[in-house]
Amino acid sequence: MMVRVFFMILMCLAPAWAAAQNGPLRIEITEGVIEPLPVAIPDLVPEGGAAGDWGQRIARVVAEDLTGTGLFREIPSSAFISQVSDFAAPVQYADWKAINAQALVAGAVSVNGNQINVKFRLYDVFSGAELGDGLQLAGTTDAWRRIAHKMADVVYSRITGETGYFDSRVVFVSETGPKDDRRKRLAIMDYDGANIQYLTGSESIVLAPRFSSTGDRVLYTSYETGFPRIYVLDVGSVQRRVLESQPGTMSFAPRFAPNGRTVVYSLTQGANTDIWSMDINSGQTQRLTSTPAIETAPSFSPNGDQIVFESDRSGTQQLYVMPAGGGEARRISFGEGRYGTPVWSPRGDLIAFTKQSKGRFHIGVMRTDGSEERLLTASFLDEGPTWAPNGRVIMFSRETQGAAGRSTLYSVDITGRNLRPVRTPDGGSDPSWGPLQN
Amino acid sequence: MNTGQVISGIGHAGLIGWVLFGGAFQSEPLPFEVTEVSVISSDAFEAMIPTGPSPDTATDVALPVQPDVEPDPVETPTPDEAVEAEPPEPTPAPEPDVVPEPPAPEPEPQVADDAPVQPAPQEQAVVVPDIAQRPVPRAAERVAPDPVAPPEPEAAPDDVQQEAVTESDTGESQQDAQEATAPEEATTEIVTEAEEPAGAPTASIRPPARRPSPPVQTAEPTPEPEQPAQEPQTQPESEPEPQTAEPADRTDDVNDALRQALGGADDNVPQGPPLSAGEKDALRVAVSNCWNVGSLSSEALQTTVVVTVEMSQDGKPVIPSITLASSSGGSQAAAQQAFEAARRAIIRCTRDGYDLPAEKYGQWQEIEMTFNPERMRIK
Repeated sequence: MMVRVFFMILMCLAPAWAAAQNGPLRIEITEGVIEPLPVAIPDLVPEGGAAGDWGQRIARVVAEDLTGTGLFREIPSSAFISQVSDFAAPVQYADWKAINAQALVAGAVSVNGNQINVKFRLYDVFSGAELGDGLQLAGTTDAWRRIAHKMADVVYSRITGETGYFDSRVVFVSETGPKDDRRKRLAIMDYDGANIQYLTGSESIVLAPRFSSTGDRVLYTSYETGFPRIYVLDVGSVQRRVLESQPGTMSFAPRFAPNGRTVVYSLTQGANTDIWSMDINSGQTQRLTSTPAIETAPSFSPNGDQIVFESDRSGTQQLYVMPAGGGEARRISFGEGRYGTPVWSPRGDLIAFTKQSKGRFHIGVMRTDGSEERLLTASFLDEGPTWAPNGRVIMFSRETQGAAGRSTLYSVDITGRNLRPVRTPDGGSDPSWGPLQN
Repeated sequence: MNTGQVISGIGHAGLIGWVLFGGAFQSEPLPFEVTEVSVISSDAFEAMIPTGPSPDTATDVALPVQPDVEPDPVETPTPDEAVEAEPPEPTPAPEPDVVPEPPAPEPEPQVADDAPVQPAPQEQAVVVPDIAQRPVPRAAERVAPDPVAPPEPEAAPDDVQQEAVTESDTGESQQDAQEATAPEEATTEIVTEAEEPAGAPTASIRPPARRPSPPVQTAEPTPEPEQPAQEPQTQPESEPEPQTAEPADRTDDVNDALRQALGGADDNVPQGPPLSAGEKDALRVAVSNCWNVGSLSSEALQTTVVVTVEMSQDGKPVIPSITLASSSGGSQAAAQQAFEAARRAIIRCTRDGYDLPAEKYGQWQEIEMTFNPERMRIK
């Protein structure tokens, strides 16, 4: 009887099995490769006699932007089979496919007086189709690098699906001189180290500059009076003003709230350091923490609802999250070592931090609940992470060991790959990455 | 697709035959014989040796009597015994067993004299009649003459449907064409039970066959139950006839269209057996080597996309046919990015065509690839 039942079930399943044999062949791919995407970026076609070598210069910046991400690999022009000599001419996909170019950036540039006009298209070579529509960018010749950065942002965004970060600036502390006589001053530059400008002199020590969410102002700490005080600097006019502080206190580690009107900072009274907030316009303050421990380095979540900060209330330096208006804090770091300088990702999904463990410093990231901690770097001294506007890249400062040690800015992808230094004329520390420019 | 139908048909026929005529009754008789023989001891056997001659006398007595009785029991089972009439003569012993009831009263008084010795041999003899009785149930074949009639009415339903349509004289020409299509569907339904896609195109033909049914509705109750009975019995033999007859135009066109739509051009496409695991792995590895997720966003790395692609016989994908069938785990923008990466992967590594067996082209003419980046995510 059981045998009959078994075979009856088998007979019932047979049609389904037979049906499964029909239809398309089905396979599942779960393993891929992680390698830079080969892209061809020929010089922009000059249109008009005044274009000069602008096409080549812009193409080089675009190529450096893309290859600097570690996600793209530029195919050298010497390998090109065909050249883009006419922006309107159809693309010879076979020629680009033959050199394994998966993407092609073809553009043209024209110059009229001090006005420069760039138009370009992005092609998916193997699909034989254009990725998105063509774009045209216009500006002054002085802003040609920004035009190139914006062009690269578009290419990056269309291929990766993430917003770009090339047309952005970084404010940092420029350092010169030996460790025992180091001079520091605020500087601002393009994300790639170009167009550097100094915002302060080197007469006094400056620390921890922080961009506002709109990129028009910078908060920083200065020892100009002998005590640390917080200043607000307008980037456009380079005008500054000091934030009010209580006599006999030290204020430092400021950071803007996403709304741009509130500032959170650390205030030391006696031997106790707590986190406070201040309305910039009215000067009204609010105490957010009240413990005998040292609590500092506050950073807002992107929506402004929460604050992550470091505290040694548990006996060791750990990371905590509390509501933006103060209240009960929740510890999120439990690993071995000390955690500090937390910074919330612009995406809101990760928190970057500095970790000191077993005599080495690391830059790492973790989920906002403390899970999935990953250490991205390791060296004698890595500290001060800051997020790129798209939340994909982290910049930080690395200092080498010894009396002649030098602090340098580095960037790293959140995957831990593509660690590379940022070119600055002098040493650099305490970077703060601003938003994408308009 | 045809391979699946053949395998399914053979499998069904074999299983049905085995269940009906196979060892459904094999489990009972074995233990019965062995236990009875093992019970007898050597002493009992020796004791039985001297009693041996007595049964000889019994057989002597029985032989003259039984042949007289034989014709009577043979007459009762008249229809089937024509074949078995000869064997009873050489072996008189089984004959009384075959007809236990009528001869039983007569030999009993004779055997009663030898009662103490005979019980044991009777048990051994009991085993034989059990086996011999099986032919009696096979005498159920007597019923065969009756069933011989049913197969005709079963085949009749095919004819009945045609007659029923002819009864509705309205729309004669159309109804004839529709009648011819109906038996095709019946046969293809059998196929559809075994293999769905092959039956799919034929299923679409059914609606026109039902249209003429309204005038036949008076006769519906009978054909409806008959049709399901016909389906399992009437085999594809009936298919070619109606196809060649009338609905050739419609069915051919429809089937061609469906074949094209389903990508299953069966005429010139070598189907072959399904791809082996090794052949599938080779294709999977080839695509994997070109699936570059390095430039994908973190959201796109959490998006699984299902991509369909039609292949040419030289193993190259038909690029315009690469489409995003479905996605899960991410936004539409992320799905688009993941799809473009998948499309590049399919196209990139196929300059010389994928290494796929040409004799199985029908098996990989259309491929559905699922790109699951779970293992490639940033962790």
